[in-house]
Amino acid sequence: MIVTPKILARIVAIAVLGVLLQLSFFSRVTFLHTSPDILPALVVSLALLGGSMTGAVAGFSIGFLVDCLLVEALGASSLVLLGVGYLAGLFRERFEIHSVLVPALLCMGLTLFAELGFAAVQLLLGVDAPLSLLIVRDMLLKSIYAFFLAWPVYLGVRRALRPALVEEPRVRRRSQPTVLGT
Amino acid sequence: MYRKQVRRRRALLALLVLGSFVLLTLTYGQRSDGFQRGVSTIFSPLQTVADRALKPARDLVDWFDQTFEARGENERLQAELERTRTLAVAGQEALQENGQLRKLVELDRGPALASSAYEPVTGRVIARSPTIWHSTVTIDVGSDDGVQVEDPVVSGDGLVGRISSVEGGSAQVMLLTDHASAISAKVVPEGVQGVVKPEVGNPEDLILDFIDSTRKVHRGEIVVTAGWRAQGLASLFPPGLPVGEVTRAPVVEQEASQQVHVRPYADLRDLDLMQVLTGGSRR
Repeated sequence: MIVTPKILARIVAIAVLGVLLQLSFFSRVTFLHTSPDILPALVVSLALLGGSMTGAVAGFSIGFLVDCLLVEALGASSLVLLGVGYLAGLFRERFEIHSVLVPALLCMGLTLFAELGFAAVQLLLGVDAPLSLLIVRDMLLKSIYAFFLAWPVYLGVRRALRPALVEEPRVRRRSQPTVLGT
Repeated sequence: MYRKQVRRRRALLALLVLGSFVLLTLTYGQRSDGFQRGVSTIFSPLQTVADRALKPARDLVDWFDQTFEARGENERLQAELERTRTLAVAGQEALQENGQLRKLVELDRGPALASSAYEPVTGRVIARSPTIWHSTVTIDVGSDDGVQVEDPVVSGDGLVGRISSVEGGSAQVMLLTDHASAISAKVVPEGVQGVVKPEVGNPEDLILDFIDSTRKVHRGEIVVTAGWRAQGLASLFPPGLPVGEVTRAPVVEQEASQQVHVRPYADLRDLDLMQVLTGGSRR
């Protein structure tokens, strides 16, 4: 991905829109007692299109913005999401993405990674209350939701950043060759 | 050239990781700083607009969620759901909001607040934390409306939490289910006192801890805020605010762990309107 100022502005807009959507919509709806989390999927999508460094920087920035808006201790979300972005970008740099299922499966796996990472950070910082086993259910359901949400998120981000994608030139319809005499 | 690029990438990654740890070290357990408050103030109007714009979509998802859950219930609940569904189609949004406001007004007139100097300020939830580790919501009233840090927050059903940080036009509410939340409460009519703490990950179960194990608490009894005052110190919450109902009180657990389980009256997963009790007698 070639990051020009224009593309950078688009990435920032995508990140801000994603964070606003998460805090104002996805965090506030529940299905089977669990709210979906699109932020890992958003970071994975940016990383799959831009590589590990784009993913890491996007993850850090998105996490930073979330913590700022929720007035939480800064750094926890940044650390977890930068890990998610870096791993997704690394995957893109090491392997070819042959199947359309790959982004969705990656989003699912890395959402689980993000949930476990966030739990680890919280436990290291200290949790003053007993833990419920329902946390595990919440993590698994969030991962499953991420699988389904990954499709629109990835396609939307890819569409928004299409001008910057080196490997995806605009598809032009080629005219059929004509055969003389027919 | 390639090595230089690799080194640069590694340096950037290390810088980001280090930055995260530094931020965490500097800000964990601290009050919100000016920068965070500034960012929150800038985004607050955007969040309000997003909240309003996305409310119909949220209601639609909630409707599907309720429908899905109700399929596993008995026939009586099915019939009730049908009625709810009809209401939803006919503009349940307005009715629900009206109902919430009515309950808030009734709570204002209740005995818990009648004798105290608290002045309720009604706010609407505009954002919610995406993780179960932090049960916080952002509301659209702030210091401009008289809201201050540590003010109690209630919904029409009962206690919701307290204000954890405040900006000009918005404030963060730490819910009862946040791992850092602890509220002194008592069981009525027994009068057994304890501290209400959450069980992280389960918003329907609170724990009334540190109770007197010689006095028995029974299922169905009501838990309200204790509202103590001693030696110049006072609880953040006025006495008598409904918190929840005792759902499980095994004798073994009471004697061994000095705790019982409480279901909060307020539906902490689905909050829309709430009231901040400002200017309390503790000031």
